[in-house]
Parts: sequence; structure tokens; C-alpha cells
Amino acid sequence: MNNLHEILEICLQDIEQGADIDTVLFRYPELAHELRPILEASVNARSMAIPAPSAEVVRRNRVKVLQRAAQLRAAKTRSSKRVWFTSLRRAAVTLAVVATLFVSGTRLVGAASTTVPGDNLYPVKRTWEDVLVLFTFNMQQREALEVEHENERLHELRELFAEGRFAEVEFAGQVTSQNGNIWIVSGIPVIISNQTEIRDQGIVINSAVRVKGHAQGDGVVLAERVRLLSSDEKLPDLDDEHEDDKEDHEGEDRQEQDNSGKGSGDEKLSDETQTPEPESESKDDSSNSGSGSDNSDSGSDDDSDSGKDDSDNSNDDDGREDNKDDSGHDSNDSSDDSGGGDSSSDGEDD
Amino acid sequence: MSVYDDPRALDGLRSLDSQAIGAIYDKYFSEVYRYVRYRISDDVTAEDIASDVFMRLLEAVQKRQGPQSSLKGWLIATAAHAVNDHLRRQYRRPVEVLSESLPDHGANVHSEVDARERNRMVQSAYAQLTSEQQHVLALRFGQGYSVEETALHLKKNINAVKALQFRALASLQRQIAEGNYE
Repeated sequence: MNNLHEILEICLQDIEQGADIDTVLFRYPELAHELRPILEASVNARSMAIPAPSAEVVRRNRVKVLQRAAQLRAAKTRSSKRVWFTSLRRAAVTLAVVATLFVSGTRLVGAASTTVPGDNLYPVKRTWEDVLVLFTFNMQQREALEVEHENERLHELRELFAEGRFAEVEFAGQVTSQNGNIWIVSGIPVIISNQTEIRDQGIVINSAVRVKGHAQGDGVVLAERVRLLSSDEKLPDLDDEHEDDKEDHEGEDRQEQDNSGKGSGDEKLSDETQTPEPESESKDDSSNSGSGSDNSDSGSDDDSDSGKDDSDNSNDDDGREDNKDDSGHDSNDSSDDSGGGDSSSDGEDD
Repeated sequence: MSVYDDPRALDGLRSLDSQAIGAIYDKYFSEVYRYVRYRISDDVTAEDIASDVFMRLLEAVQKRQGPQSSLKGWLIATAAHAVNDHLRRQYRRPVEVLSESLPDHGANVHSEVDARERNRMVQSAYAQLTSEQQHVLALRFGQGYSVEETALHLKKNINAVKALQFRALASLQRQIAEGNYE
């Protein structure tokens, strides 16, 4: 069959060159009968061939094609203008969105600045603080900022205490007292329980620590974890802290003033608080042996402190009465009280 | 089959440059028209389809869907599709009035009438063939392409083209012999 197709092609080429069918078939007599109608059909097919179009047809359609090209060119120009306009509009919208987000973000940060732990926007506040620190490249400014943030933690705690709220808190400070399971850190009473994780064993008076715990709403923090501060962490500004103590924790401050009344401030306080039990004695001694004004101050402090503690701890009035009695009578009773149980905070205050 | 004779032709088409488009039209319109006119015996329709092929070329190039290797191959293939679409729409092509462009086979009136009659007969028989058979005959006998060039257009090997043209001619002859034309 392929041979037949090949011979047909040879015959077709011969006819195209001007040979007639009979002449072509003369060379293939055995295929003549089969090829003849095919070759006749090819002559008919070739007879249908169309000459080139007239010049008028060419010109007319040339104009049509070029007009279409001109239309496409115009559409393309319009399209590119539209693309440019669309791009401009998108840029404007993007700018507006960015501006809106910026303004919203600024307002959000502003609104978050007064929050305390437990508030919904508090994470925004802390994140913004981190951002500020991150983008403060001057080391002195950065350190000042970190101290400011640590001060803010204490402010937040005071606010939580004032509102009687419970919240998870974290703050840094210097340990100024370790009386049994009650530590004072940055002026904040911290309860150390069996569950408290104390990572570093060398925490003593004057150690700089970070406390993570739960503000109990009664002016104390139940410690969940206490660790020593690393060298690159900052302590809150002590001056601010003392001012705050004066404002918010009058009783505790006054207690410290009482303790330091005989000496010269913090160093004296540290000395006195190094050994808890003698401290109680010395405090009692100072109360007993001090001036009249000191005694009266001490008495009033005891009242206020015991009153606060009583209300916070939901103790009955008898406790307050007892405290008053303790302050007015025997210091040994007071030290005995401080030796046991949760009521030792009262004893310590005493 | 030629690739672009002028490598700048595609760039000219894309930029819708009138001069480049005019040059391409001048070079290929006659070929496209003759192919279409071979398959469609109506002058006006053939003219419309041939010019439409060039407009499709402009639009395809704008969408970057135009010819990749051969401009002529793309034009003929597009013409074949356009003709097939037209014939499908027409479904059954009516007998056309013979156009003035038919070859003049005789000097006297009788021979001219005979030639027209024979041409009408062949055209009608041709219209009964399959699209592929019409396509291969249009390329081989309407355009005068060699078997090799026809194979490139059909994207088939040479032996397949030879077999196809054999079947197409046999079918045409059978249609003529059986009088299956109007």
C-alpha cells in the first residue's frame, strides 16, 4: 500500500511537470487501472486552484486590517492609561489604609498605656514597651527606659492592690526583708509558699530578684517563681518606689522610717532586717525605748497596718485588738506571734 | 516552512506598527485568500474569512498567543479553523454561483460553459469530503505545496500525508462518479 502511495506521488509530480495521465501510467501498467481515477481526481482538484486575488480585493482588505490595528492601538493606549490610573488609585487607597492603621494603632497604644495586668489591652502595653526598648539605640536612654518600665510594674501592682484585684504579675526589686515566708521586694510583701519555685539559692537581703506571682488583691503577691536578676536586667528606680510607698503604702513606709529613724536610711534598714527575729526585737525595743513621738507613730502604724491586714485577710476584730495589745504591751508576745502561721505578717508589721 | 523572514515582524506586530503589519499582510494575504477561496466557493465569504485571519493574528499577538515558530503556518492553520467553523455553521453548503475568478478553460462559449459545469461538479463533490481531506487537497493542489511542506502544515509525517492525499483523491473521484453533488 505504501508503494502505491509512493507511485501516486511520483505520478502526481510528473503531471505537475506537464506529463499527461496516459504517459505517466505507461510506466506502471499493473497499477494503471487503480491509479487512473485517482490521477483524474487530482487533475480535477488542481483545476479548482484559485488565482491570486485581484488588486482591489487586496487593497480593500488591507485597509480593514490596518483599521483594526489602529483600533487595537487606541484600546491599548486607553488600557495603559487605565492601568496607570488604577495603580494611582490603589496607591492612594493603600496610603489611606496605612494612615488609618497608624492612627488606630496610636490610639490603641494610648488606650493601653493606663492598663494593668489582667486588662485586655495590657499585652498591647507590654508589647509597645518592648518595641520602644528595641528601637532605642542609645544605651543610656535604653537603660532609663527599662528602669521606667520596671517602675511601671510597681505602679501597676499598687493599682491592683488599690482596686483589690487578682492578677498575674511580674516585677523586679531588691529584697529588703526575709521574714519567714514573707519577703519584702521593692516594698511589696511577697508570700513564699511551698509551691514557689526559687531557682537561685543565694537569694538574701539586698539581692536583686524578679518575682513572678499572683497579686492577691489584699496587698500581697503570692510568689510563683523568684529568681536572681541577671546582670543586664534593671531594677526599678528606688526613689520613685519610695515616693510611691509614701503615697500608696503609707503604713509600710512609715514602718521603714520608724526602723530607720535611729540611723541613716536604707543601710540601717538592711542591717536591721538581716536577721528577722532580732529585728523584731530591735523594732520592739525601739518602740519601747524610743521617744514618745516614735511610740505614738509606731502605735498608729500598727493600727493602720493591722487594720489593713485584718481587712485583707478577713480576720476578725480580735486580731486587731490583739495587735494593739501587742504593740502596747509585751514585745515577746509580738515576736511569738510573728513566729507562726500566716498571721506572721501582722507580727512583722508589729 | 519558513520561520519569520524578518525577526522584527513579531515585535512590529506586538507594537501594532502599521508598516510591519502592512508588510506581513502583503506577503501572506494572497496565499491565505487562495486557501480559503479553494475551500469556500463564495468570493465574498472567502474574502471576509481571509481578512479575519489577519485580524485574529493582531489580537492573538496582543494576548501573546500568536505564532511561535512559523507565521505562515499559523495563518494557514487559523484559516483552516475559520473555514471549518464557517462550514459547520453553514452545515450544508448550498451550491454557489460560479465566480468570475474561475479559470477560463475554453476559448469559445461552449467550452467555457463546460468548464464551469465541470468546476461546479468538482466543487460539489469536494464539499462532500471530510475537513481533513479538504485540507490536504487545498494544500497540495490549491496552494501547490509539496508533500514535505504539507506534512509540516498538517503536523504529520510524509507517508501519512501521502496516504491521506490518496484517500482524499479516491474519495473525490468516488463522489464525482457517484454524482453525489448538486
